[in-house]
Amino acid sequence: MALTRSKLPRAQDSSLNGRARTPLQRNGLVAWAFLSPFLAVYGIFLLFPILQGVYMGFFDWDLLVIDDRKFVGLENYVRMFFGEGLVWDINHKFFWRLVGIALIPLVIIGRFRKKLSSGWAISLVASVVIVFGLLMGFHPDETGRWNDSLFWLSFGNTVAFVLMSTPLIVGAGLLLALGLNRNSRWVGVLRTLIFAPYVLSVAVLTLIWAFMLNPQLGIVGALFEYLGQEPISWLTSTTWALPAIVVVTMWWTVGFNVVLFLAGLQDIDPSLYDAASIDGAGRFSKFVNITIPGLQRTTLLVLVLQIIASFQIFGQVFIMTRGGPNGATRVSIQHIYESGFRDFELGYASAMSVFLFLVMVGVSSLQFKLQRTSE
Amino acid sequence: MGQRVFLVGLTLFAAIWIIPMLWMFALSLSSNEALQLDTRTLVPIDFTTSNFASVLQGGLTGRWMLNSVVVTLTTTVVTLILSAMAGYAFARISFRGKSVVYPLVLAGLMVPREAMIVPLFLMFAEADMHNTYQALILPRIAAPLGVFIMTQFMAAIPLETEEAARVDGANHWTIFWRIFLPMSIPALTALGIFTYILTWNDFLWPLVSATDREMFTITTGLASLQGNFAQATELGSLMARGVVASLPLLVLFLIFQRQLVRGISLGSGSK
Repeated sequence: MALTRSKLPRAQDSSLNGRARTPLQRNGLVAWAFLSPFLAVYGIFLLFPILQGVYMGFFDWDLLVIDDRKFVGLENYVRMFFGEGLVWDINHKFFWRLVGIALIPLVIIGRFRKKLSSGWAISLVASVVIVFGLLMGFHPDETGRWNDSLFWLSFGNTVAFVLMSTPLIVGAGLLLALGLNRNSRWVGVLRTLIFAPYVLSVAVLTLIWAFMLNPQLGIVGALFEYLGQEPISWLTSTTWALPAIVVVTMWWTVGFNVVLFLAGLQDIDPSLYDAASIDGAGRFSKFVNITIPGLQRTTLLVLVLQIIASFQIFGQVFIMTRGGPNGATRVSIQHIYESGFRDFELGYASAMSVFLFLVMVGVSSLQFKLQRTSE
Repeated sequence: MGQRVFLVGLTLFAAIWIIPMLWMFALSLSSNEALQLDTRTLVPIDFTTSNFASVLQGGLTGRWMLNSVVVTLTTTVVTLILSAMAGYAFARISFRGKSVVYPLVLAGLMVPREAMIVPLFLMFAEADMHNTYQALILPRIAAPLGVFIMTQFMAAIPLETEEAARVDGANHWTIFWRIFLPMSIPALTALGIFTYILTWNDFLWPLVSATDREMFTITTGLASLQGNFAQATELGSLMARGVVASLPLLVLFLIFQRQLVRGISLGSGSK
């Protein structure tokens, strides 16, 4: 939401192109007439389902039995989050908690090192870290169990996927865009080739890669044999299945980020580079002082869109591995899909949707907030 | 010199990048029998076009393609019109409430649509509209990204373009249709391509909404044929289906791709 506050005035300014400020024409009635068709579908098919989802989350709502809707309060959420015999101790997943506690501030400070002056931004980060460290300590003891251990398994895999795929796909997108940002016919051809996989439908993507990654049939296996290695059965290995899906997803979608980054690079005023050249700035200093600041808004948009897309990973996994082997690639959307449409528990599925929604909104607004403090 | 090395490296990278697609094409032109023995090739073995013939003749593939084309074309056209109209209002008209509504629309960028599938499903179930084209189209056209792209692009068009028309007595509707829509063609093309691709490739919503085999889109239809990957006896036919499903998009993309970058202005500064 902070995006708008900084963006809206700017959008208007740029239309004025630095001339005398003739205000835009004022006409409320016409404006609403232009907006109403979009706002209608937006309200019905995007905003309303969120409210409906929150509402359904408080019910035991069976898909098939129409009259069987019971208000159950927070029962769905209790089922999701809790279990029997839960204990807290400092050692549980100690290593991963340390990694998280170290990484969260590192990432944030790394990106915003110049501007982390405001006290509340620091306290925000600190509280995120503390809550994270505390929550990760909970787990069932030997006799206890989670009410729905698949929920935590799926969510853990989803978070792992987000953490692996976001830096990789955003970073690769930026690198490729920098390489492809020049006007020549040949580079244009290369751009087309690199974007091409994005055009494939998920069913075609999985068709290609399920066989590509097959140790006997695929070319990846052939490459391994050529190098004298034993081919790995990627998609049936609990270690490699998720990373393999990350790489496949990168191949598929990086083109989208490349296009956004190219658009962002194109928006940087070329005269800035010329001026810097006159001042004797080298390539690297131009990159650090012009390109990186110039891409800040683009990067924010790409990051948020990527995080949201990554949290919603489903098709690749569902078709290629069905969440296997042994749940190693089971993700949140699959759990929601199966709870709702296989087990017909719409209320429980909605509650999980609401949870996922809140997590994603939280992560995105944290991005926007930090970005705004930095501006 | 450094420039040349760089270009060669980039070219090599791009060549490796598309190997998986070349592989699909090669296998789709190979006979199923030959593929039982060897699949690791980038040139067709035992060249044949019979895989394509069988795809187009038998089964529901044709029907699925038709469904996809109808749904995707309608969605794209309607999305473009709605986004352009909303973008015009946000970028070119000043009105009370803009500072509330525009953020609300942008907040929609953060809404996980796949996660909200259950209430959406229920909505269409209660309206008894599943397994219809409307059900596949309507949820797709509420696209905040489209409004964002159009607003950014239209805001960057200089004010004097519309002032001249206003002096001639043109109203907003005329200005929108006659001036802004034609001037926004680069943005419309880029948005159109993205909408077309995303709709064509939509998976979860068609999976839950269109459950009659007749109403499958090519994406869900193709996925339904991939049930068992171990059974690779008809690899050639499967790959041919993949090619058939991808060609309409690949061709479209090749025609319009030059507009893709030009049409997106992210408002990172004035041009």
